[in-house]
Order: sequence, then structure tokens, then C-alpha cells
Amino acid sequence: MKQLYAILEGVGSVVQLLVRSLSYWATIPRQRARFIEQCYMIGYTTLPIVAILSFFIGTVLALEAGYAMSDFGAKEFIGSLVGLSMARELGPMMTAVLLAGRVGSAITAELASMKVYQEIDALTTMNIPAAKILVLPRLAAVLVMMPVLIIIANIVGWFGGSVVARYVSYVGISPEAYFAALRHYTKFKDVMNGMEKAEVFGFVVVLVCCDIGLNTRGGPREIGAAVTRAVVVSLILILVLDYFVTKILL
Amino acid sequence: MDSPCCSKTRNPFTGAEANAVGVHVDKVSKTYSGVSVLSNISFDVQPGEIFVLMGPSGSGKSVLLRQIAGLERPTAGSITVDGQDPSLEETRDRVRLALVFQAGALFNSLSVYDNLALYPREHRSGTEASIKERVMHALRILSVEDAAKKFPSELSGGMKKRVSIARALVMEPQLLLYDEPTSELDPVMSATISEIIATLKNEYSVTSIVVTHDRSLALTIANRVGILMEGKLITLGTPQELRDTKNPKLVDFLYPKIDLQNPRFKKLETQETP
Amino acid sequence: MNTTQQTARVGLFFLLGVALVWVTFETLSDGKIFEEHTKTLIAGFGDLKQLKTGDEVRLAGVKVGSVAKTRLAGRRAEALLQIDPKVPIASDASASIVMSGLIGGNYISIDMGSSGAPPLPDGAEIRTVETPDLNTLMSEIGGLGKQLQDSLGSFSKALNGDGKAGGGIIQKLDKLVTDNSSRVDATMSNLQEITGKINRGEGTLGKLVNDPKLHDELLATVAEIRSTATQAKEFVSNAEAMMDQVKSGQGPLGTLVYDQKAADDIKASIANIRSVSDKLAKGEGTLGKLINDPGLYNNAQVTIKKVDRALDGLSDSGPITAVGIVANALF
Ligand SMILES: Nc1ncnc2c1ncn2[C@@H]1O[C@H](COP(=O)(O)OP(=O)(O)OP(=O)(O)O)[C@@H](O)[C@H]1O
Ligand SMILES: [Mg+2]
Repeated sequence: MKQLYAILEGVGSVVQLLVRSLSYWATIPRQRARFIEQCYMIGYTTLPIVAILSFFIGTVLALEAGYAMSDFGAKEFIGSLVGLSMARELGPMMTAVLLAGRVGSAITAELASMKVYQEIDALTTMNIPAAKILVLPRLAAVLVMMPVLIIIANIVGWFGGSVVARYVSYVGISPEAYFAALRHYTKFKDVMNGMEKAEVFGFVVVLVCCDIGLNTRGGPREIGAAVTRAVVVSLILILVLDYFVTKILL
Repeated sequence: MDSPCCSKTRNPFTGAEANAVGVHVDKVSKTYSGVSVLSNISFDVQPGEIFVLMGPSGSGKSVLLRQIAGLERPTAGSITVDGQDPSLEETRDRVRLALVFQAGALFNSLSVYDNLALYPREHRSGTEASIKERVMHALRILSVEDAAKKFPSELSGGMKKRVSIARALVMEPQLLLYDEPTSELDPVMSATISEIIATLKNEYSVTSIVVTHDRSLALTIANRVGILMEGKLITLGTPQELRDTKNPKLVDFLYPKIDLQNPRFKKLETQETP
Repeated sequence: MNTTQQTARVGLFFLLGVALVWVTFETLSDGKIFEEHTKTLIAGFGDLKQLKTGDEVRLAGVKVGSVAKTRLAGRRAEALLQIDPKVPIASDASASIVMSGLIGGNYISIDMGSSGAPPLPDGAEIRTVETPDLNTLMSEIGGLGKQLQDSLGSFSKALNGDGKAGGGIIQKLDKLVTDNSSRVDATMSNLQEITGKINRGEGTLGKLVNDPKLHDELLATVAEIRSTATQAKEFVSNAEAMMDQVKSGQGPLGTLVYDQKAADDIKASIANIRSVSDKLAKGEGTLGKLINDPGLYNNAQVTIKKVDRALDGLSDSGPITAVGIVANALF
């Protein structure tokens, strides 16, 4: 009962924060500098880890698919499997997971420490809404950066799959055949589908992490607790949303 | 600047004059999860008045100040600033209110300059050049102009305090709340702070509420002094009345005797030795 | 970090993203920028089965093009094949739809044709050969089962009759024996009558037998006749004995005709045969299931469909999750 109440409270708080942030959307042009800074944090600095992870996801997908499909004499389909699963599912999801771990935690840590050290209170007395200068630029930045991260994740993952397909002995498919199958079955609409998913994930992760950060109470110890909670909640939300967003987008 | 006026503050953004604001504290109580911190506190601060709040550590001064600034709501009773609830955004929109936090509460991710420039920039008061002029002026008043490019983490405690006061000044507030503005400052700097508070009152009719442990500061600048003990306002009067008080509790608080041979600590020492 | 530098990096990063999205779009949407000139051939089939746009066209197993479009043209289905213009396709070559594996998609296979044949020009129609695919194969196996069931049914009907028109073989055999026994009876009484008349001297043979004058003359003859009559008697008695045996249920035919137990046995075995064929018809037992169980046939169909779906899922916007893909592909 208490837990249910806490969940409802969290949802309400997030929705409130969303509405408040969006009510300042017109100020984005004036917040250009903050927006760029957040784009840098969310997009540019997250790129290396996204690229590395996607590469290995691609390789593992090709490895597993190659192992399973060689029994069926269907190795030619590795490319299509890697292509589709990367574009529609793993690219968006793993990028969102990384976003939660790398960016979401940083957001929560920053906002939580601002809350604990009364910086948020200072903003309040200055009548500068945190939703406007702290949340909105991050939401805008994640919406702009997510597709870029996703397309890079996809391409790097596809490439990773082709490397395995080519060099692992029991797979042994030429890159041409791999990419032919990939191109054959993966349509741009699949990539778009994945991007839409990623936008939802990214937006929700950033929003929830902001909310948890801003609602931190207590001292420095609570900052750590808030970060842990933000990451856990983000991961759960990503997986739960994945189901529903997939269903809606089909 | 313009000729001093006793009941009007100049709005630095529009140039229009506004009424000096008063604060009304009515039977305020505050409890944190059942623990009473403030109980039944009532007092008024007149527009343009300097009100000093004193009291032992942990007596609830900061809590009261945060409620006047609208950061928290009282559990019972009401607080109004210029007739309105300060926790409402509209009130803070209308009445410029600044709080100098006890711990500074500087924005750690912004340079000192950006800390000060944030308010005028966000509220679009003037060009970047005029904002710069204002910011540098405030920093000069508190002798921290050299720190403009530094970040809060690179400042000493006293510098943080001064930057924090400068940040409040840049807001050109109608109501200024200071939470121990001189606690980390040397006597010369403390004197400067006193002068600033007095000047703001005299030149711009800024209403000030000053929480301090500094007896000389309180007795010099205050129009009235309130003393808070264990969450209760035990006395409210002019500095003169306070100096003349015979109340032993107050005398002990204001003029504590220092006993260098206090047996309490001797006992502590012996307890620790075995 | 310097703000302009940060802005530049974000800008660069964003433009990189846009460029990659564009490249992906052009590549995956079969953007025409990467396509060269191709030659188109038309292949008409009665049924394109699971052939899809984008499937490969292979000449003797080597990829030479792809299916550009599938369409209906009157009573047949047509596939437009885009073929590398550098590859000549013999005018007597024929195209067929081939499955590239149990799980695999289809491709169009074109054979080499004869060496002397002139190449097909752009837009020409290529000869086609219909090949059974797994689905038709399975439905044929199903038909086979049906036929087996039918013939077993008619077999049991022939044995037992269907209860209406005069009965089956067993009943007919029954009836035959019964009919014959009455005829044998009639033959016997005729024979008795004749010998009786002979005894009483009636008729030519009787007079001859009873006239004393002729007696001696005919003694030898009579003796001969007597022996004949004795033989006849023997025959008759034999016949009577046989009839008795039949009547008392001895001997195979008697058993067959009169013995209740044997009749029951026959009935039981007929019933067995009937139940076997019924079972077959109802689809009980392994054989019956094999022949009759629609589930088995359906299973085969479903398997095929699933394989299809897995492939469709790969290309269409099927419910593909990471697990989904693997599951669809494997099961
Ligand atoms: N958020 C809070 N939750 C629970 N208790 C609190 C909270 N804030 C303050 N208190 C309690 O309220 C009492 C008054 O605190 P406050 O900070 O107002 O003291 P103070 O008078 O400002 O002391 P000092 O002179 O040391 O700053 C303290 O006992 C403190 O423990
Ligand atoms: Mg305090």
C-alpha cells in the first residue's frame, strides 16, 4: 500500500515535471548555450561507449545467430537477423540502457547535489524554475541526440556482425552476402521504428532521472541513493516501455 | 543613484518604483515528522525595516527564514510577504526576494560571474553589457571582483559568503533575507556587510531580515531584534531595550561568561583517559 | 572547455548523424542512386508461392539479379526480374521458383538453356516451369492418405456390404451355398423318383427291366445296368452322406454354412476387418493418424507457415523483439 502510494506519487511528480518543463518550450532558443552543453554531454561524450557496446552486440548477435542457424542451413540470414534486431530492438534498447547508466546517473547526481546543497532553493528564491533551465534543455538535447546515437549504434553493430560473419570459422559468410541479407530484410522503416523507440526511452530516462534528482531530500548520502534509484527505475522503465512502445509502433 | 525615498524601492528592470514590502508572521508553528521546531511565532516586519533574529544554534532561525522566503510552508499559522503567500510563484514574481543562504548555495557548475549573472539574464533585465556592469559592481562592493572567473569550489568559505551576498545584491531585491551573513568573515568585512545592509535600507528602503550570532552587528544595525530560543520567540524589542534587559536568560545569551576552568570538560577528559 | 569548441563538436556530431541517417535511408530503401541500368524479363507463373520483391534471381546458382516486382496479369501471376544486362539469358532457358532451404526464402532459378540459343532481349518473357513446393507436396501426401482411406473403405464394404444392396461377398457366399443345397435336394429326389419308376417297371426302362422275355437277353445288360444302378446308388448314398455331413455341420463347407461358432468367427473377423477399416477411416492408430489425422497434415502446414512467418517477420514489421526474432526463426 505504502509502496503503491510511492509509485503513484512518483508518476504524478514526473508528469508534473513534464508539464512544467514543456510549458517553457518557447524558451529553448534563448537557452541555446545550455542546450548545446547538454547535447555535448548526452550525445558527444556518450558516443564512444555506445559505439563500443553496439559493436560487440552486433558481434554476439552474429555469433549466436550463426551458431543457431547453421543447423538450419540458414546462415545467409545472419545479416537480416543482426540488421533487424539491431535496428528495431537492441540498438535503441542498449543505447537507452547506456544513457540511463551514463547520462541519467550524472543528471540525477548533479540535480540531487544541487538540491542537497540548496542550489535548487536558490533558484526558487530567484524565481527561476528548475524545470525551465535544468530539465527542459536536457529533454530537448536527448530528443535531438538520440537519433544520432541510434544510427551510429546501428551501423557499428551491423558492421560488428559482418566481422564475425566473415572471420568466425563456423559462420564464414562473406560481407557481401551478409549485407545483402541485411539490406534485403531491414527496411528504413525498421530503423525509423527503432529511433522512435529510442526517443521515447531517452526522453523518459532523462525526465525520470531529473525528477528523482530534484526530489532528493537529505544529505550527501541521499545523492548516492538517488542515483542508484534513478538508474534502477530507468532500466525498469526501459524494459516495460519497450513492450508497450513496440506494440504501439507495430 | 536616485534620491533616497523611505517607502519606495526602485525596480531595477523597469525603472518603475514599487512599494517597500512588509512581512507578517502569524502564529507560525513548524514540526518535522512530529518534532516541533517552531511554535506559535508571531511578529511583523515593517516595510524598510531591519529586523534582526538572534538565538542559540538549533533554535530554528534558518527554518523560519526559509519559510519567509517561501521555500517551506509552516505546519500551522501563516506568513505573508507584502500581503501574499511567499511560497506562490506569483508572489515571488511580483516581489523580488533574495535569500543569502547560511551555506552560500552557490551554483557549483557556474563561475562566480555566471552565478551573479544568472538572475538578470533569466529575467531578461538589460543587455549583457549592463548585466556585466551590475555584476562587477556587486563583486567590487564585496571585494571579490578577482574571483569573477573562478568556480565556487575554488573559493574560501568567506569568499563564498561574500559572493553569495553579491549575488543577492545583483537581484536588487525588495526583501533581503540574510542567514548569518558575517559568520565566516573577518571584522573588517563584517563591518562592510553592516554598511551594506544599512545603505540598502536608507537608500532603497529594502526590507531586511538578518539572522546572526554577531551581537555587535545586531545591536548596531537593527531597528528591532527578536530572540528565538527552542522554537519560541522569547523577546522582541529595540536594541536599546535589549541592552537594558535584566532577563538573566537573555543576559546569559548575549553576554556569555567564559569559564576557562569549566569542570564539565575536566570530567569529560577523565572519562576518556582510561 | 571552450564553448565554441563544444558547439562545433555538437554540430559536427549532429551532421554526422544526419549524414548516416541519409546513407542508411538510401541503402535500405533501395535508393536508386546505387543502382545501375538493368535488363527486365517477365516470368509468368500460375502461382508465385512465397516469392517476394527483392528475392534473388540466380542463373545456374549465381546471383544475376532480383525480383523487381510481382503482379497479377489476368489469370496468372508475373514476376518482373531485373537482371544484370551483362549476363545473357538464353531464349530457351526456363525459370522456376526454388526454395533455398527449409527455412529459406525463395529465389528464381534460371537454367543455362542451350548454347546456341540467342539471348533474350530487354522486356522479353522467359519460359517458366512450375515446380511443386513444400506446400503442394504436403497436400499431395494428404491426398494420398485420402485415397488409401477410400480404398480400404470400399474393401470393407465389399466384404460386408453397406447394409443396403444385397450384401457383400460373405453374404453372397452364404446365399450361394444355401441355394445350392436346395438344388442338391431336388436332384436327389429326382434321382430317387427315376429309380423308383425303374423298379416298378414303368416306362421303357421299367418294362425292359420287368419283361421276363427280355430278362435273360437282357440279363447281362441288366447285370450291367445293375452294376450301374449300384454305382448310382453308391453315388446317391454318397451324395446323401455328403448332404448329411453338410446338414450336420461337418466338413469345411458344412462348417462354413451351418456351424454357428464358425459363422461367429467369420463375423468376428469381418467385424475386425471392419473395425480396422473404421479405425483407419476415423484416424485411430499410427497408420490411421498418418493417413487421416488432419492435425498431422496441419502440423506440416503450420510448420511451413511458421517458417514463412519467420521470414515475413524478418522483412515485414512483424512483432520482432530480440527474442521474437530468434523464436520465430527457430520454431
Ligand atoms: N529539514 C529538516 N528536517 C528535520 N529537522 C530539521 C530540518 N531542518 C531543521 N531541522 C531542525 O530544526 C531545528 C532548527 O534548525 P535551524 O537550522 O533552523 O537552526 P538554526 O537556528 O538556524 O541554527 P544555526 O544557528 O546553527 O544555524 C534543528 O534542531 C534542526 O535539527
Ligand atoms: Mg541556521
